[in-house]
Amino acid sequence: MSLRLNISDEAALEAGLRLKAEDGIVTVLTMGPQKAESFLSELLALGVDEAVLISDEKMAGADTYATAKALNAAVRKLGPYDMILCGRRALDGETGQIPGRLASSLGWACVSNVEEVGIDNEGIVLHRRTEDGIEVLRCVPPLVVSVCEYSYKLRLPGIQAMRQAKKKQAKVLNASDLNLAAEECGLSGSLTRVTEMRAIFPGLRNCKKLSDCKELAMVIQAEIRGTGNE
Amino acid sequence: MISQNALHHAEKCRFCWMCRHLCPIQRQTGKEINTPRAKGLLLSMVNKETQSFDKDMAQAMYECVLCDACTNNCATGYQPPVFIREARTEAVVNDLAPETVIRLIDNILDTGNIYGVEKTSFAREGTDVLVYIGEVAATQVPEMAENLLLLLEKAGISAKVLENEPASGVMLGDLIGYTEEVFLQAKTCAEAINKVGLPVVVLNSYDAEIMKQRYPMWDCEVKTEIITATSYIYDLILKERIKSKKAKGIKGACHDDDRSARSFFEFDPIRAMAKAAGYELEEMFSNKKMAKSCGTAVSKAYMPEIISKVAAGRWEDFERSGCSALLIANPEAYLCLKESIPEGKCLVDLYGALL
Repeated sequence: MSLRLNISDEAALEAGLRLKAEDGIVTVLTMGPQKAESFLSELLALGVDEAVLISDEKMAGADTYATAKALNAAVRKLGPYDMILCGRRALDGETGQIPGRLASSLGWACVSNVEEVGIDNEGIVLHRRTEDGIEVLRCVPPLVVSVCEYSYKLRLPGIQAMRQAKKKQAKVLNASDLNLAAEECGLSGSLTRVTEMRAIFPGLRNCKKLSDCKELAMVIQAEIRGTGNE
Repeated sequence: MISQNALHHAEKCRFCWMCRHLCPIQRQTGKEINTPRAKGLLLSMVNKETQSFDKDMAQAMYECVLCDACTNNCATGYQPPVFIREARTEAVVNDLAPETVIRLIDNILDTGNIYGVEKTSFAREGTDVLVYIGEVAATQVPEMAENLLLLLEKAGISAKVLENEPASGVMLGDLIGYTEEVFLQAKTCAEAINKVGLPVVVLNSYDAEIMKQRYPMWDCEVKTEIITATSYIYDLILKERIKSKKAKGIKGACHDDDRSARSFFEFDPIRAMAKAAGYELEEMFSNKKMAKSCGTAVSKAYMPEIISKVAAGRWEDFERSGCSALLIANPEAYLCLKESIPEGKCLVDLYGALL
């Protein structure tokens, strides 16, 4: 399998690069295997000021808790930052927990499902998707923002920028750089375990359409007594 | 800096040799390095650091017309043009691209087209559709553009053409891969089209492809409908706004240009145009989805000798059909094929044939 950037992380990066056009610097931070360094280098050609990879064999198998812990340590080491833009969820696990967990561990606010990020004279303006529509929030830094995958399309790199990026390299940090003990990292530092993976095939739910509450009560009673599925 | 995605395409070749038999360049040159699988192998070696990306390798990456015939039949479903295009970007970034290519890039950046010339202007006001002529027709095959506009006029269509029609980005994209420079051309072009607000009829399927398939990915979408000129004329034939001609008693075969064939799966319009023009239709080898390229304007400009052979190869396919008229509706194909017309055969611009 080839590595590729998460679609929602692409959107978050583009949001960051557009903010940079107003003012500031953009640092890209990720945790992953050593080979992730190559695609971080690609991002340097897009106008990213610094690319940092957290990579250590001790960190293998990290759940969202341990991942957020490592990211937290890196943010504290590399910062201070005004805003952390994350993709709202990963393409593979799709837990969507990292932004919230990271914000919580840093003691920062977190705004999720953001479609538009802007800055005006009074602060940061976020357009957040909710079930009822769009919420417009005015926020003060520092905060963590999780960006929707469809909100921004990542720009293409220019030839000159690619030439300049060849002179730069992604920085790699390991557990000891972040003062993390082995038991805080990877599987050892995780609160959850994946114990089994299986495919759930559609159509296997044994559903029954009921028309009234009395019938429902009888079905529940039968289930409790173990005489259901007749 | 070949992306992980492109390397994925390059590394997964099973060496089944199918692309070797389909590549229009390899079939004419017989050189192993001209096959898509060889290009994949070279990039794989670079990735494994057993070979450096040098001028020879860059040259090899340019000996390809990006026709996608290899993708169409790849057993593993991979797309060699993805890594070939990125390898071209790598060549330009590292100053390894062939001199002939660098000249064309400079011309595009100066004038929008590879020829470095000001385009013939077809500017006119109209209210039904905007016709996008494109760089190739405007500079190299103006008669095809003129014929299309006359045909539309004859069908009662009021066509507008922009005074300073911007480049679509397709030529630059073929030369340097998809980079910010191409995006900027695309954005300018989309903005100019959107400002008019009319459905856009695109003469060259290469321009239509980048507009329809790439612009939306780059967030510079054309907001109105994009229609290939062949599809638009087909519709006018169906509506009988273009009248069919009497049978000529001449056997003709249509050349499907690779982008109409494999990007749009568009086969019926050109055949309907040929029938309406009075030709008795036969099929030549490598038609429809299996269409074989006869070269592109860009590749012809930087490797004319090879493209002459590729075009001659397409004429050989045609000669085996037993027809006398090769029927086309694409300016790039017209440009490549017109220089080597065999004796007793003719090359027909279908827009002109329908007038």
